[in-house]
Amino acid sequence: MKVAYIFATSRHSVSYVLAKMILPQLEEKRHGATVVGMFFFEDNNYVLLKDNPIGARLHKIAKEQGILLMGCDQCCYEREIADKLYDGVPIGCFPDLYKALSGNMPDQVITL
Amino acid sequence: MTATCRLPCCASPRRTVSELLDRGLRRNRAAPLPHEGAQLGDADGNAARFSIDVRGATIADVVFRMTSCATLVAYGELIAETVAGMRVELANGLTARDLADALPGVPALKRDRAMLAVAAFRSALSKVSTNGKQS
Repeated sequence: MKVAYIFATSRHSVSYVLAKMILPQLEEKRHGATVVGMFFFEDNNYVLLKDNPIGARLHKIAKEQGILLMGCDQCCYEREIADKLYDGVPIGCFPDLYKALSGNMPDQVITL
Repeated sequence: MTATCRLPCCASPRRTVSELLDRGLRRNRAAPLPHEGAQLGDADGNAARFSIDVRGATIADVVFRMTSCATLVAYGELIAETVAGMRVELANGLTARDLADALPGVPALKRDRAMLAVAAFRSALSKVSTNGKQS
């Protein structure tokens, strides 16, 4: 099964669910589903900033496993970080996300 | 020598993408002005159309209709704020590079929106002759 994650809430979705559950499982290749994309809203975009330690691991595993990472463009502009993300990580909105995923569509989209 | 006033009432509005977007979304809903250019699009499905009001040889007001891409709307608003009060022939010299340089913080992959915005603006300018009459 192919899944895409949308990180929409800012409570513990990145520091806990992503960093301590999903990411280690992806690194250990035992997540149980093929992750094709991750999209980040609001403050969750800070994980995509260059030098963010969680982001460094995420960026590495995304390149290895072909996972699309994308930040919400308006969220990044509002925080003035749009041009400070890891290399190759685009920003965009829903049309950009769907277009980017169109070649590798997920079976499920999971909002966290 | 007179110092520049820095009070909020006098200070120029900030020109970040986010703040231009906020103002641009309001302008994006305004009624078209007399000199309306063609609607132009790009490969990503974005579209832009400008319209202009001219008094004499000077641009009095600019509005646009654009798809809701944040970067595109911000570039459109930047054009509108930059050229208001400018002579038509000077405004015609505005380039996508000027926009990109004036608006830091836009990732390279999104800077091509400036080309669409400028092309659409020039289309509206082409409807205006320098004496302010529609061509």
